[in-house]
Formats: sequence, C-alpha cells, structure tokens
Amino acid sequence: MSVRREKAERLADEELMPLIGAKDPEAFEVFYDRHGGVAYSLAYRIVGERAAAEDVTQEAFISIWRSGARFDRTRGSVRSWMLSIVRNRAIDSLRSKAGKAPKLTFDDDAVLEQRPSEELTEEEAMRRETATEVRGALGQLPGEQSKVIELAYFGGFSQSEISRMLGIPLGTVKGRMRLGLEKIRGELAEGLA
Amino acid sequence: MTRTEHDRWSEDLAAYMLGALEADEAAELERHAEDCERCRSEMRWLTAAVAALPEAVERLEPPPRLRDRVLTEVRADARAAGVKTASAEGGFRRRVAAWLRRPSAGSRDWRPLAGLAAVAMVVVALSGYEIGGGGSDSGGPLSTVVSGHSPGVTAKVVREGDAGELRLADVKKLPEDRVLEAWVRRDGEVEPVKALFVPDREGNASTTIGDMRGVDLVMVTKEPTGGSQAPTSSPIVSVPIPQ
Repeated sequence: MSVRREKAERLADEELMPLIGAKDPEAFEVFYDRHGGVAYSLAYRIVGERAAAEDVTQEAFISIWRSGARFDRTRGSVRSWMLSIVRNRAIDSLRSKAGKAPKLTFDDDAVLEQRPSEELTEEEAMRRETATEVRGALGQLPGEQSKVIELAYFGGFSQSEISRMLGIPLGTVKGRMRLGLEKIRGELAEGLA
Repeated sequence: MTRTEHDRWSEDLAAYMLGALEADEAAELERHAEDCERCRSEMRWLTAAVAALPEAVERLEPPPRLRDRVLTEVRADARAAGVKTASAEGGFRRRVAAWLRRPSAGSRDWRPLAGLAAVAMVVVALSGYEIGGGGSDSGGPLSTVVSGHSPGVTAKVVREGDAGELRLADVKKLPEDRVLEAWVRRDGEVEPVKALFVPDREGNASTTIGDMRGVDLVMVTKEPTGGSQAPTSSPIVSVPIPQ
C-alpha cells in the first residue's frame, strides 16, 4: 500500500473531499472503496438490474470526481450527499425506461442471492447496525406507510403519482409519508438514546 | 384556528424530503422555508430518517470490474489534468517569480513570507536526526529529517531518497473553504507540491514531496479549496532544508 493511500485512509470523508477536488486519484480510490458498496446496493435496489446498477454507480462516482470540490458540508454528510447523487441518477435511469415498475419490498430474493460484503470496518459495522434498526423500523410501519415511502424514495414517484396509482386522496399520501418518516426518526432517536 | 402558511407547507415536507414533490412545488417550498424556521427545523429532524433509507438496503458486493471501470476513468482524468499542469508550468513559474518580485514582497527569500516570519516562521532545529534508527515507516530508507515549529505548529520534513514527506502536527482546524498547500523553493524559484491536504481531527497533516532534489525551503500556506497557482497567504510553517 502506498504512503499516500495510507494517509488518505486516515482522513474522514469531509477531509478527503478537498483532495478529490484537487484531482488526487488515490484519495478518490479510498472514497470509492468506502462507499462503492452502499452506492451499488442502492442503485441496484432502485433499478433492479446489475448492468444498469453498475452504469448508475459509475456515472455517480465520476460525477463526484469531477465536481467533488462543490460538496457543501453545511448541507449534510459526504455519504448522504453521495447517496443522493446515486439515488437521483438511478431514478433518472428508471424513468428513462418506460413502463419499468419499481421494486417495492426490502426483501428481494435476487438481492439476497448475491454475495454480501464480508470485510467490515468498525464504522461499517455501526452503519449496518443502523441499517438493521431502520429495517426494523420499516418493518414495524403499517404497510400503507412503508409503501408510500418506498414508492417515493426507491421508485421516484411524486406524491401526486402515488395518489393516482394507489387510488387514495393526495392528503392521505402526504399524511402517510409524514407519519412513516416520523416513526423511523423516532426509532433512530431511541437507538441513540 | 387559521391555517398558516407554515401549516400549508408543513404537510409537504415529508414528500419534499423523499424527493416526491414536482420540481415547481419543491422550488416553492424551498422559497417558503428560507423564511420559516419551523419548516427548516422539521426538515432537519426528518433528514436523519431519509438519510437512513439507503443504509437499510440489503448490502451487495459491487463487482470488481466496476471498481476498475471507475478508477480507470479517474486516473485517465488525473493524467490529463497532469498534462495541463505541466504545460502551464512555465507560466506558473513566471507568475510566482513576479509574485516574489512585488514591492510588498521584498526582493527575495520569502520576504513577503518573512513578514509573516516574525509570527509564523519556524524555529528550526537544523540538526537532522533519524526516526526509527534509520529504518522506515513507509518501506524505504530514511535519511535526513529536519524538524521545527512555528507558534502552534510543529513540522518535520523526512527525506526518503529523492522524495520527502512533510509532517505537521498541532494544526488548527481549517475554515471550510480552505486547504493546506505545500510549496518548495528550488534554485530560487517557488513551486507548488501538487497534492493539497488537510489536518485530521488530531491536527496532524502530511503530504509527500515527490522531488526534494535541490529544495532549500519547504513552506505551507492555507489556500482556497482547489489550491492556488501561487501562495495567497502567509505560511503557517516554513522549514529550511540544509543542503
């Protein structure tokens, strides 16, 4: 392992971004190795095809490489920012394929068939603990609440579209989204307490 | 009770956070939120819930070919950027030379920086010493080590063959729009050390100097994110290198 790579690995994401903005490929390599897994997983969750998920992930990371200096740390963590880019790219990809139906459940056999990542850093282990909490919170949500959240976040549908798809009033969609997110937020807050 | 503007938009906050508002609705909500602290507060509260959604997705191992594809493109970009830097080098050297000749900069030898010297110039311990009994913490044989400190900052330059490593300690947290940039002086001309760097949480920062041959001074300044073509601020540390 090179000295530069070793140094980059010691930096937090927020500290890597100026290096990426200055076009340091080893800093970017560290960044990819930290987040490539979750990015690809999210892309696959949304687009439902391996090849398309790879394309989305590649486009998102190259976009970050070329615009890394534009990260604004006042608007959240680097990881959330990166995942929002992946999500937006994946939704764009999904919309470009007419008639593509979103995947609606968190338990997906095709996903489970693939080999999960085995090497866990302490930070990654904590994230997975959070993931377990969120999955638990989502699992406890009434079905109608989790469905509207999944349609919106992973399906890329607007609240008006969801209202029409499910044949329920727009106000009901809004209410279910809000209650669902409040419930997840509450579970996370409890987990931190 | 009268339905307030906040009540109206508050109903849409969850959809906004989930990306489920139409573009014009989202823009309108953002305009409202600029002046509505309650909306901003609710958005901050919900942010963690939305940020957690992708974390809950079943984790997959991305195929190695994806990593290869991404990094191949990145390295090609970096090489192209390197070519641009090299072609601009002559112009850069001229700009730095001009910068050093500015009246306010004095005639030579980092005078503008010497202005800073009273405050920031390092007290240099010129007696080189070896770390680890001549061994190496990075795989190659170490030779000269020069160390020093300015008020609040400790610096070491570790020579490793023709290359070197600059190690800083006790560096204060930088403003969000600033990075550290290292510079070397060689044959009377100032050159940037390509990689920018930032201190970690403990205030340690380091960067590699690819070519130490002929370098008689190493300096670090705070520069805007993305770096500068020439120093724009007084150095936080400056280390003379014995020849």
